[in-house]
Amino acid sequence: MARFYLGELEELILLIVAMLREEAYGVTVVTELQKQAGREISISAVHAVLHRLEEKGFVESRMGGSSSERGGRRKRLFRMTAYGQQVIEQLRDTRNTIWDIISNPSA
Amino acid sequence: MNPQPPKRIVRLIEQLAPRAFQEDILGDLDEMFASDIKHGNGYARRRYTINGLGFLFKSFFWTQKRQPRQIMMIGSYFKMARRSLMAYKTTTSINILGLVIGIATALVIFTVTQFEKSFDTFHSQANNTYRLVRAGGTDMSEFRTGISFPVPPAIKAEVPELVDVTSIEYFGGANVEILDSSGTTLDKYREEAGFTFVQSNFFKVFDYKGIDLKWISGSAVSLDKPGTIVLTKTMARKYFGDSNPVGQNIKLQRKFDFTVAGVIEDFPSNTDFPFTVLLSYSTLPRLNGEQRMNDWVAVNDSHHTYVTVAPGASPQDIEKKIAKTHATHTWKELSDSRHYLLQKLSDVHFDSRFGTYTRRTISKETLMGLAAVALFLLLTASINYINLSTAQSSLRAKEIGLRKVMGSIRRQVMVQYLIETFLVVSMAGFVALGICQLLVFYLQGLLNMPSSFITLPGKDMMVVVSAIIVVLTLFAGFYPSLVLSRLNPVETLKSKFGTDKVGGFSFRKVLVVAQFTLTQIMVVGTFIIVMQMRYFGNTDMGFDKDNVIAARTPVRDPVVLKGMEDKLRSQAFVTDVSFSYTLPGGVRRNGSYADIGRPEASSMSDFQVYEYVSIDENFLDLYNIKLLAGRNLVKADTARNILINETLLKGLALGSPTEALGQKLKMGDQTIVTVVGVVGDYYSNSMKEAPGNIVMVMQPENYTIVSIKINTPPSKVALQNAVSVVDKIWSETFPEFMFSYVFLDENIAAYYVQEDRYAKLFQLFSIVLLTIGSLGLYGLITFVVNRKGKEVAIRKVLGASIANILTLFTREYLLLIVLSFALAVPVAVYFVNDWLSNFRNHVSLSWYYFVVPGIIVLAVALLVILGKSMRAATLNPVDKLRYD
Repeated sequence: MARFYLGELEELILLIVAMLREEAYGVTVVTELQKQAGREISISAVHAVLHRLEEKGFVESRMGGSSSERGGRRKRLFRMTAYGQQVIEQLRDTRNTIWDIISNPSA
Repeated sequence: MNPQPPKRIVRLIEQLAPRAFQEDILGDLDEMFASDIKHGNGYARRRYTINGLGFLFKSFFWTQKRQPRQIMMIGSYFKMARRSLMAYKTTTSINILGLVIGIATALVIFTVTQFEKSFDTFHSQANNTYRLVRAGGTDMSEFRTGISFPVPPAIKAEVPELVDVTSIEYFGGANVEILDSSGTTLDKYREEAGFTFVQSNFFKVFDYKGIDLKWISGSAVSLDKPGTIVLTKTMARKYFGDSNPVGQNIKLQRKFDFTVAGVIEDFPSNTDFPFTVLLSYSTLPRLNGEQRMNDWVAVNDSHHTYVTVAPGASPQDIEKKIAKTHATHTWKELSDSRHYLLQKLSDVHFDSRFGTYTRRTISKETLMGLAAVALFLLLTASINYINLSTAQSSLRAKEIGLRKVMGSIRRQVMVQYLIETFLVVSMAGFVALGICQLLVFYLQGLLNMPSSFITLPGKDMMVVVSAIIVVLTLFAGFYPSLVLSRLNPVETLKSKFGTDKVGGFSFRKVLVVAQFTLTQIMVVGTFIIVMQMRYFGNTDMGFDKDNVIAARTPVRDPVVLKGMEDKLRSQAFVTDVSFSYTLPGGVRRNGSYADIGRPEASSMSDFQVYEYVSIDENFLDLYNIKLLAGRNLVKADTARNILINETLLKGLALGSPTEALGQKLKMGDQTIVTVVGVVGDYYSNSMKEAPGNIVMVMQPENYTIVSIKINTPPSKVALQNAVSVVDKIWSETFPEFMFSYVFLDENIAAYYVQEDRYAKLFQLFSIVLLTIGSLGLYGLITFVVNRKGKEVAIRKVLGASIANILTLFTREYLLLIVLSFALAVPVAVYFVNDWLSNFRNHVSLSWYYFVVPGIIVLAVALLVILGKSMRAATLNPVDKLRYD
């Protein structure tokens, strides 16, 4: 398996994108970060992370879904790629394995 | 009003954000602003500002999304284009060659039309300048340029809208003597053209401003005084070498003294006023007599009048006023028969009904025709390109399939192909530019372009070449690029791909037919033009034009002339000598016309206009003009005994030639004459026109021409010897005059110079078109032969003969060419008939005028196809099949 690097915030946001499914874009990601993790992250930081995730190939984006409160501007909607999916699954597996060892050191 | 986010931040982000992110960044900010607004306007605005500015500190905001593929592809397009052009060398060279020939010829045509269109456009008054011309005859079908001498001053005085009126009297055949201060002759010259009488305001009407024609010494004013002469630079050098010409004396026609008053630069080649020596117009009364200057009847076609009108004045109104002025000065019958018209200066060069001093006019139709030919040429060259490219598409299918698999989109394939086309066309374009220069230089005689006009390609030329390159790139490249980019990558990459179905084979056939139709139209047209020229040259004009030397006799003294005749007759090579007023035909000859009618004739319409010919007793014999009835004129005859020709006989309804003998006729001046003989018709003008009315009389006082019939061995040396002997006799007889002569047959051939030039040009164009067409055919057949190599081999193995194979290759193309012939014939018939109808005497179209050129084209095509397919048909099939 190729090496990859995913920072803590990156991982969190990637998970939120996965959670939001078709509705992941700057504002919703900020809101969910607040709601789920209690983290106040500025919109610009979120954009930067989403952009980085896209460059790394974990998510992909398309434009769509404008509304009047956005001044008619479209959203950049993010979606997790198959690669992104693999990566977070692998991360989860690694952690699960380690937690298992922590909770049951004899095994 | 709804609260708005801070404008300054919005604008900042709009300006700085990468285009791709601008929309979603601003959208997100807006959306947050909308939800923050419930906490207060100021809060929302502050948050917006902080969030917005936050973006400026993120690195992704500043890194433009790179688009490496777009930028790098351009370089790669050129590289790929070069490689594929090199890979298919034969096709590339055929393409380039065809395009070069086509473009070069089109550029030559462009140069010619530019030259013709540039005539006299450089005068600042050009738009207000008109030539006064006459339309006459009962049906207004007679168009003349000659204006009677008193007309210009009268209209200038009486028509206020005329700003300037300037008259020009041009004359050919000047005897020039350069005198020293004591009046002795230093040098003698004979000038056939370029002498003209002008008024000083000539240079006001024609200021040559656009090309800056400079006076080297003197000025236009020096042309006001009688007896002054102005030379162009070349003539000044010819007559006076390096010494100062101003103030020197020149004697013209042995009688009239002129003083050089100025020198002017040479006139440009694109003017219809090809003057070399300008004489003051005010000298004319001395030459012609005051009486002639006030004669409202007599006209002379070399006396032209030009006027400039006040800006905005209506030419029709002025024409009416001129007619009124004319009517007040003359009697009704004359003013009714002469209609004065104003012809725009910009039409002078293009209206062949009237002449110019350069004797050249080119009709707008001819210019259009030339432009059409240029278009034909570019079209056939493009068709070659399209055909060869689409034919090749099966070879390039794999390349394109691979490109598409690697992610090229259709547009990129098209762009790549268009760039390839652009390279080919621009290469061809620039080579053609060079060739065009060479062609124009070598063909200047044929194109009727003086070498002084030929310069390096100017701005116009570059614009045209660039335009041709761009248009041809799009025209020739678009369809092939469409075809190539349409290919389905999956199919192309399967190895079985590569049948001839690819690339619109039937469309290619259509193009081949179109190409050969154009070629056949040209070839058939040219063939008929050439036949017509041969007809002009070979048809009996009613007199014998060969082996006659003619010269203008400067002295009319019968004793002197008789002396010369005797000396000439004593030469072995001289078979006959005759004196006359004019020649029976030819461009350069005298023409004098008068009226004749039956004795009871009273009004103008009862009279016929005839051409006056004063002859001696040898004239009919020398020229072999048939005497149909009566007798030849003898020395004892007075001007009261006349010969008439057949046309006049019919015009006056005198019955049969024998019945006409002895009949009395009345001349315009009321003298009664008697018909003593009737001669057969001959073409006293060109064969383009019908024979005119002729009256011959014996009036020795009007002899101005000597005709010498010679009989020399057919060699150049013998002819030159004969001419030099005649020259010697001439200078013994007229020691003061230079010997200047014409061969009658050449003088007559000059009628057809224009047509002859077109005939040669069209031969050239036909050959060029046929060459391009054959090149394309060669390319196509090469391709087909290569593709079908295996098929041929297998057929041969299975027992096909060489003839079978050849039929396989040729049949299809021959059918196409026959089809194009069928399409071309009606078009050619239409144009050729139109052209032939200009001439009174022309060949009648018969089937072989079409079949012969058709067979020529077919033979050329067959040669190309057979030459190439023969190789394939004779190959040993083993060689072809062994490696599979």
